[in-house]
Amino acid sequence: MNEAAPHFTPPAGTPPIVQLKGIAKYFPGVIANQDVDLEVYPGEIHALLGENGAGKSTLMNILTGIYQADAGEIIIDGYKREFASPQQAIAAGIGMVHQHFKLVQAFTVAENIHLGWNETPRRASASKLERRTADLAKRFNLQVRPGARISDLSTGEQQRVEILRVLARQARVLILDEPTAVLTPAEARELFSALRNFVAEGNAVFFISHKLDEVLEISDRITILRGGRKIATEKASDCNPRMLAKLMVGRDIVLDDMRARPQGAAPVSREPVLNLKNVTAKGDDGSPALHDINLSVHAGEIVGIAGVAGNGQRELSQVLTGVRPVTSGQVIVDGKPMGGRNAAAYAAGGIGHIPEDRLHSGLAPALSITINAVMREYMKPPITSAGVYNPAAATTLSKEIAEAANVAIPDYGMPIRNLSGGNQQRLVARREMRIANKVLVAAYPSRGLDVGAINTMLRYIVELRDAGAGIVLISEELEELLNLSDRIAVLYEGRIMGKLDNQNIDIDEIGLLMGGRTQVPETREVA
Amino acid sequence: MFSNWRFQRLPSAHPGIAFAARAAAVIAALVFTGVILAISGANPIVLAGEVIDSSFGSAFGMEDLALLFIPLILTGLAVTVAQQIGTWNIGAEGQFYLGAFSATAVGLFVPGPPALILVLMFFAGVIGGMLWILVPTLARAYANVNELITTLLLNFVAALLVYYVSTGPWRDRVGLANSATPRLSAEVPEFWGIVHWGLPVAVLVVIATAAVFTFSRWGYEVRLSGSNPSAAKYAGIPVRRHLITVMLLSGGIAGLAGMLEIAGTVHRLQGGISNNFGYLGIMVAVLARGSSIGVIFSAALMAFILNSGIILQTQGLTTSAVLAMTGLILFLTAIGDELSHYRITREKT
Repeated sequence: MNEAAPHFTPPAGTPPIVQLKGIAKYFPGVIANQDVDLEVYPGEIHALLGENGAGKSTLMNILTGIYQADAGEIIIDGYKREFASPQQAIAAGIGMVHQHFKLVQAFTVAENIHLGWNETPRRASASKLERRTADLAKRFNLQVRPGARISDLSTGEQQRVEILRVLARQARVLILDEPTAVLTPAEARELFSALRNFVAEGNAVFFISHKLDEVLEISDRITILRGGRKIATEKASDCNPRMLAKLMVGRDIVLDDMRARPQGAAPVSREPVLNLKNVTAKGDDGSPALHDINLSVHAGEIVGIAGVAGNGQRELSQVLTGVRPVTSGQVIVDGKPMGGRNAAAYAAGGIGHIPEDRLHSGLAPALSITINAVMREYMKPPITSAGVYNPAAATTLSKEIAEAANVAIPDYGMPIRNLSGGNQQRLVARREMRIANKVLVAAYPSRGLDVGAINTMLRYIVELRDAGAGIVLISEELEELLNLSDRIAVLYEGRIMGKLDNQNIDIDEIGLLMGGRTQVPETREVA
Repeated sequence: MFSNWRFQRLPSAHPGIAFAARAAAVIAALVFTGVILAISGANPIVLAGEVIDSSFGSAFGMEDLALLFIPLILTGLAVTVAQQIGTWNIGAEGQFYLGAFSATAVGLFVPGPPALILVLMFFAGVIGGMLWILVPTLARAYANVNELITTLLLNFVAALLVYYVSTGPWRDRVGLANSATPRLSAEVPEFWGIVHWGLPVAVLVVIATAAVFTFSRWGYEVRLSGSNPSAAKYAGIPVRRHLITVMLLSGGIAGLAGMLEIAGTVHRLQGGISNNFGYLGIMVAVLARGSSIGVIFSAALMAFILNSGIILQTQGLTTSAVLAMTGLILFLTAIGDELSHYRITREKT
């Protein structure tokens, strides 16, 4: 596996460099970690694999002193340690490179390396810091430009600065959280060879990822987490993608099939109500976020979008609802191309949208419940006629929506941020269902809600499907997708990796597609 | 028996309590000022009597008060209007100057019957204010440049421009006033002593603005865009277009204030014509808390404070004492607003 660097083999009897014993961490209502045992030896690259919310990041945050474990022990080199802060962890040789870099954009590379470091000389000129940085870069074989400002660097270069900053503080255990998510393939190869050199000197690496191929390529052993617990630790050489996918998505899924239609429910239409044809779109930073998406939604069906968050779900939901323009391709609603129209036109055309971050884009938290509740219908009578807005009519509609959502509201003039998250989400859902007579795009509708609120949410969606709307359900909960969807499409890095009919579906296959593998038996592919 | 006092934060303040908190803040500020005056050897009771007598005891006092009231209503409204779309127009001062400047240009150089000239001056004032906020507006709308800085800095340019023309090219070469333009012939008619029709116009502008924001589809869209632009985008509202319109409206209202000051009160352009009305408008708007109608009340309070300052100056106090009092009121009001969100509960242990 390691062709570049010679493999480091610790002498027999060497204790693990890091050992975790029975680690547990609880957040209100959530088990983030429980009974996690893990050991990592010098010379090892150890991968942590799991879905969103499997507890990978929490576990590593405990190891680096950001969180304190509610139970269990951290043992470093055979000695029990407790870390009250990341500073204590780095003093013990454990450093983490976070998914979102913690660099000062306006500072140079050299300044960032020396920031908050007790070995930084008290009086040092810029040129001296840069010289020290160049020496460090040479020692760890990481190419950086000491005098350059962070804001001028590519993400790959920024990541090297982060790694160098951790290594300069004599880290022996390096934790990387989804390091390749921001890298080009060439940059990822460079990173991998740097990691191999690092462990060849008797150090260790924790590598958090959900990409199956790279985990198999880089790591010596793989630990799979699911629902906060350790499922297995395996040697990478004993693993294959299919088996990892199965372990990762696992199946203690409670299948509560909501796909059956009651009598009188609207049938699935022959023609799609919403159709994406070769759609490409850019992300907020201008880089391509969606590539050549083809997706059709029929009336009376639920199409699930599976995938690890951040693989284009947000952009897809915005393209489907007219919030984000497409760079090429077509969005066709009811046979009519929508080319260039804005979100208001989509809403008027019968497309509802439950956005993924309701507080940031679905609501104006500081404004009244009434103003928020009428956001989709304020331009129509009875609320507005001849340009005149009628506040009394707005309150009447807002009461109607609150009643449908079963939310008790003492004062419709109070800011909507005073409501609980579940009540806000129910109001948003009811508001959108009223206009969604063609399509409802629901992005993570159950995120952040408790079990009762989730059930209500899913019931709403089924109700709308039976009334004859097409639903696009974007979710990171596989259970939810399997229980509701008629078809499931899997997004990975802005592409649809495959579309599966939800009839005796193979869960492992979804796991493979989510991890970026395309070898799917032809028979299951649905056009 | 011990008891525990606890603060409990309420999601929204009870209107009655909020009002009481504000009244308490104003009274506390006055008491503070009185104590300080007493310490420095003045008799606050006598001074207060003097202020009240001079302000409300005679028609002249009331008229002076009204003349301060007019520009404060409009500059306060200008800042409040900009707040509706989520921006801070710190440049009402500069827009006031430009409104006065443009109106004067028309009054001095356009021949015609006074009534027509007055109408032209009105439009010149509004357009002057709009032009002065145009660059900050476009910079904010298209390049996301913070309007706080750009509007503020243009104030100094405007003040110097007016100072230059009124002491240079436009100065009165006939009369004795060397640092001002000749008296303008077109005047806003007076309806009560020296109080001109600018007062009802200003109040009408406030009412019309409040009505548009509360009772129009456009007003709804502006409020939504100002409170959360990404939610407005999600609802398909043209946020940028509304931003430009509202900021220009704000500049136009401040420009109107400058025009009325020239055509109704001072009748000639001179350096320092704005009398800080643009900056005081920020305070008026803060006290009005985003309510257009509220501007009328906070502008009245501000006019009274300003007028008291002038009276106190005749009694040998400096302007600094009055500025300190204004600052105190604002400061204590902010505390009062926050405190009105709390309820004190008592737990027996």
